[in-house]
Amino acid sequence: MKLTFKRGIHPRGMKSLSKNCKFEEMPTGEKVYIPMAQHIGAPAINLLEPGDYVKVGTKIGEANGNVSANIHSSVSGKFINYVMRENPQGRRVCHAVIENDGLYEEEFLPPLVNPQKADIIKRVRDAGIVGMGGATFPTHIKLEASNDIKALIINGSECEPYITTDHRMMVDMADDVMKGIKHIQTALGAERVLIGIEANKPEAIKNMAEASKAYDDVTVYSLKTKYPQGGEKQLIYAMTREKVPNGGLPSDLGYIVLNISTAYAIYEAVDLGKPSFSRYMTISGKGIKRPANLHVRNGVPFQEVINYLGENPGYVKAVSGGPMMGVSLANLSAVVSKGTSALLLLNRDEIRKVEPTTCINCGRCAHACPIGLLPMMTDALILKGKVEEAKQYYPMSCIECGCCAYVCPAKRPLVQSQRLAKKMIREQGRK
Amino acid sequence: MSEKLIVSSSPHVGTTLTTKKIMLHVVIALSFCVVAGFFIYGLYSLLVVGVAVASAVGAETVYNLIAKKPNTINDCSAVVTGMILGLNMPPTVPIYVPIVGSIFAIIIVKMLFGGLGKNFANPAATARVFLLLSWTKQMTTFVNPVDYSLGGKEFLTGFIKGSIDAHVTGATPLAEIKSTAAIGSFDLNLLDLFLGKISGSIGEVCAIAIICALIYLLVFKIINWKIPTFYFISVALFTLAFYKNGYLYVLPSLLSGGVLFAGVFMLTDYASSPVTRWGVIVYAIGAGFMTVLIRRFGGFNEGASIAILLMNCLAPLIDKMCKEKPFGYRKPKKQRKGDKV
Repeated sequence: MKLTFKRGIHPRGMKSLSKNCKFEEMPTGEKVYIPMAQHIGAPAINLLEPGDYVKVGTKIGEANGNVSANIHSSVSGKFINYVMRENPQGRRVCHAVIENDGLYEEEFLPPLVNPQKADIIKRVRDAGIVGMGGATFPTHIKLEASNDIKALIINGSECEPYITTDHRMMVDMADDVMKGIKHIQTALGAERVLIGIEANKPEAIKNMAEASKAYDDVTVYSLKTKYPQGGEKQLIYAMTREKVPNGGLPSDLGYIVLNISTAYAIYEAVDLGKPSFSRYMTISGKGIKRPANLHVRNGVPFQEVINYLGENPGYVKAVSGGPMMGVSLANLSAVVSKGTSALLLLNRDEIRKVEPTTCINCGRCAHACPIGLLPMMTDALILKGKVEEAKQYYPMSCIECGCCAYVCPAKRPLVQSQRLAKKMIREQGRK
Repeated sequence: MSEKLIVSSSPHVGTTLTTKKIMLHVVIALSFCVVAGFFIYGLYSLLVVGVAVASAVGAETVYNLIAKKPNTINDCSAVVTGMILGLNMPPTVPIYVPIVGSIFAIIIVKMLFGGLGKNFANPAATARVFLLLSWTKQMTTFVNPVDYSLGGKEFLTGFIKGSIDAHVTGATPLAEIKSTAAIGSFDLNLLDLFLGKISGSIGEVCAIAIICALIYLLVFKIINWKIPTFYFISVALFTLAFYKNGYLYVLPSLLSGGVLFAGVFMLTDYASSPVTRWGVIVYAIGAGFMTVLIRRFGGFNEGASIAILLMNCLAPLIDKMCKEKPFGYRKPKKQRKGDKV
């Protein structure tokens, strides 16, 4: 029996575009624009004065409270000033503009030797590490808040189409990823580690199994290739058959879920002393001349990344993140930050039609929903403003994975309706 | 940057399947039955189906014109309704019957309730029951198939008025089944039932054509496999229970009358069937039960359309009762202030 969850969908993978491209170093331009909010929570406190000289890894933003993260410079050079720029979501946030002097002088933290639980948590906090799968939740909170952790779950499923970052990492840097995983395990005091990888990445499964051979408490699972296999509730269910309580967190069951990129970032922070100022990402889609997996410093505008690889004219949509849950961009001026797992330029034949027609009640959305919701009901009710009735279809439990809208033949914006329902219910609660 | 970018909510990718494509798949599946009916009952059957389709599409166009709404015939759902209704007609039916039926199905059952997807009952099934009650004689006069061994003259002339009496007015297998139900023995050729060499409605008689259509629809994942499967199982089991020597009647009951056709094309209608996982099973089993009940104990020989209509009315209730709790749902202990709902 293949390990998986109920329902879900099989989107076109499109991973062959970039699957076999080894990571390349993306050259950084003359200026970087480092956002002071690259995470969920409060923006970091600005530490620089115009004219300051910073090095690669210099802390330029101090975490503001616990739900926040430090920000570090990704280049060496002169700090010019703070500017307001749009982030991928279209919100205007504060960015630090730094002139790249091209010397890349480094100011790293000291590498830790045989670190203990507290050392690792402190280092993760100092290095400003956040969930790098795209959620950007500050990782130190996950490590701190957990007392009774049975197992650490590593998400190597990478179920979003197009993205091949974690795949490449597991194939090429399995040993280092493993070191990071062991550090997280120490920090959590977890007895076991479960690594879940989708069956469509046999090379990654092989290399990770090889890397974990030395450890009895680490198990690599091959999971069925199905979306959203990497959703933490689905991932936990696939490997343990346990269900995260509705409205709860994995830690309620004694699990903590982190993904491969985050584990690698923790390895870099602990063993190399490198703060989180760059990331590995996939640039793909038919609009990209040469799809690739790149190592990019934070603060590099998307346009520069695309210029580096070349674009095919005729693309109609740009997406930051995966095509199922990512954000579509109005322009390419936003920059690469900690949570940018991918950048996609999509042609018209790759994207979903956006003009909705009437719901024919075919039930495909209900048969796709991994949570077991009836998205067509929420959609119909919330668009009429019937919040109370919509509530009975549990929109709050929606994980916004996009399966319903993916399969909808009427092309209805079902996820958007769920978000609208959530928003209206929250507003109602505040009244 | 090349041009203006599309900004929309996620997901950004999706299937290429559209409502129109679904309807066209159903049209293709239905055309298997049209072809079968054409060979079994001759040219006139084609005219009946054609007229039913034309009036359905026409009715929708006219309705949209009068209601000042954008024309919706492009989604091809009116073609499907017309075809299903046409195939539900006896091959001798006067041509005004399918015309009235199609107009009733489209205007009263579909458009007045809000159009595609909003109708609570299957338009074709409702129209059939309406016609059955309005023109009982015309709707229940059946003839034997064209007999090619005798030259097949009826193939071209059809069973037009006046010539019907000249032919043997065929008692349908359903009538035979009904009259012998209490005795427990009958004289029917299963192979004839399978090939459609029997009297009955145009599209319902040829089991092979319907089974091909079923396979086609399942391969393209147009219909929910649970509905026909549980419907057929239910009809078989209740036949076994309600008829004397029931085992003799299981296959004839499934193969004759509208059971196959209704299970594949009418019970699976999206708008009027439930969407929940368990709901469709309850719905299909209920429809099977009602079908057999009407056939065995009711006034009509055929019960499929009425059974569908009854279950259509229950579908929203079934969905409500079978609604699942979301993944990981725990009963809320005590709602505290500020808790997530």
